[in-house]
Amino acid sequence: MIRKKLIRKIVVYAIYILLLSSLQVSYPNRIGFGGQTADITFVFVVLTGYFFGFKDGVIVGIIMGVVRDCLAPIAVVGIDGNVRVTAGIGMLVMFLAGAVGSSFFTRRMHRNIPFAFVSIAFTTLLYKVSGHILAYSWTVVAPAAGSYNLGMYEIVVKSCLLQTLLNLIAGIPLLLLLKFAGPVGLTEQRNTSDDVIKSTEDTSWLQI
Amino acid sequence: MKRLLTSKWFIVLSVSLLLIAGIVLSFLPGSPLKSVVGLSSTVVSPAQKGVKSTGNAISDFWAAIADGVAIREENKALKEEIADLKYRLNQYEEAAIRYEELKAAFHIRDTFSNYDIYGANILSREADEWFSVIRINAGMNEGIVLNQGQSYPVVDVEMNLVGRVIETQGSNSKVLPLLHEGFSVSGKVNEVNGASVIVSGDSVLKKSGLCKVKCLDKGVKLQQGTVIVTSGEGGLFPDGIPIGTIVEVDYSNPVEITATLRPFSNIGDLEDVFVMIPFKADDKKEGETGASESTAQGQGGQG
Repeated sequence: MIRKKLIRKIVVYAIYILLLSSLQVSYPNRIGFGGQTADITFVFVVLTGYFFGFKDGVIVGIIMGVVRDCLAPIAVVGIDGNVRVTAGIGMLVMFLAGAVGSSFFTRRMHRNIPFAFVSIAFTTLLYKVSGHILAYSWTVVAPAAGSYNLGMYEIVVKSCLLQTLLNLIAGIPLLLLLKFAGPVGLTEQRNTSDDVIKSTEDTSWLQI
Repeated sequence: MKRLLTSKWFIVLSVSLLLIAGIVLSFLPGSPLKSVVGLSSTVVSPAQKGVKSTGNAISDFWAAIADGVAIREENKALKEEIADLKYRLNQYEEAAIRYEELKAAFHIRDTFSNYDIYGANILSREADEWFSVIRINAGMNEGIVLNQGQSYPVVDVEMNLVGRVIETQGSNSKVLPLLHEGFSVSGKVNEVNGASVIVSGDSVLKKSGLCKVKCLDKGVKLQQGTVIVTSGEGGLFPDGIPIGTIVEVDYSNPVEITATLRPFSNIGDLEDVFVMIPFKADDKKEGETGASESTAQGQGGQG
């Protein structure tokens, strides 16, 4: 029985990882607005962590990150001024998204649906703010990368808030998918309390 | 000890540190992390192609209902014809301008004759604000081989500049798009002895699909609608490739006149691109005797 459940999990996650990451990089214009793109892969990882715990979140996150690094990696202007394609940033981002998604607003909120959106908003903001800080820091460390000319309005409204809004909208269908066609059956979800999830992992950290 | 190893803090910290080390190492050639990512493409790429084909099929189906298959086919044929004619027109215009420019020096050469053109489809586009490299389905297997410090220009069907190849693998390559903040190209106003400019990506403007233009010549008046083409300086891009038109000029700083440029190429809607690879020195000798131009190779970020 446990083996059957595990196989279901693996198959469902594999399908969603391939499908969502493909959609993300194949039709970014259709899921974007105002220069930002709804990050469906990121939201999926956060929701996986939120609903199904730390292990699922980080494992799905790392695999999703490998796929992202493969399909749409980040190009960085190096210290010498040459542009290089990196590997691993997607993995790091997605791994941390899974970890954060599984660690905030989960147990006390009984992994309820409204707080799933709070979790998406929180994780997205954390990602965007960290990204901007890192991008700015990089231009200080590597002047050849150019100056970081984004103003406060661009960072707060056009980047962070717009991305959060798009991710929240993208969260609706993904949440329904995970709930009704997800890696864990509906009956099992009803029978699985937070205590069961807790008993399988150490959830004593970073809880609100 | 067991408690420490199973602690989430420890797991998150150690995996993060490991990944950060991997990211730093990925700057070096032959990085193990890049090999892992490269291996994953054998599974991911076919799946992504499948999803894209299905999506395109659905999109085509709805378009067929809305427009009619016949009109679509006719439209496609006409677009190809227009693209071909525009390309020829651009070539002729550029040839005329160049003839005027070079007549005084008694030296005329055909810019694009030194390049092989490889066609490719766009496989994947930018995933978000930062994950913004484009993948195309032509790589080392198709003869696109990059050596250290090299890069190849990428253009669309109308020969407008799209970006440049920055990494190649077996069957795909990664392209740095024109809008990326790391992209920079020497350009000029498309006139006889046109003013020199630098066109580069900008983190603010890229969200609106625009680029930044910095005027290098003093006292030059850029105007809205001015067409900018590549100047050929730097050696990576041949001169005469259309880049875009000026949409706004900022004269607030007389020392440094800047402008915004809307690229001709709409990367978001592109399906097909072309990689321009300069002939190798020995190929050129075989192909054309007496040619004077040496092989153009790119260095660093600016072409």
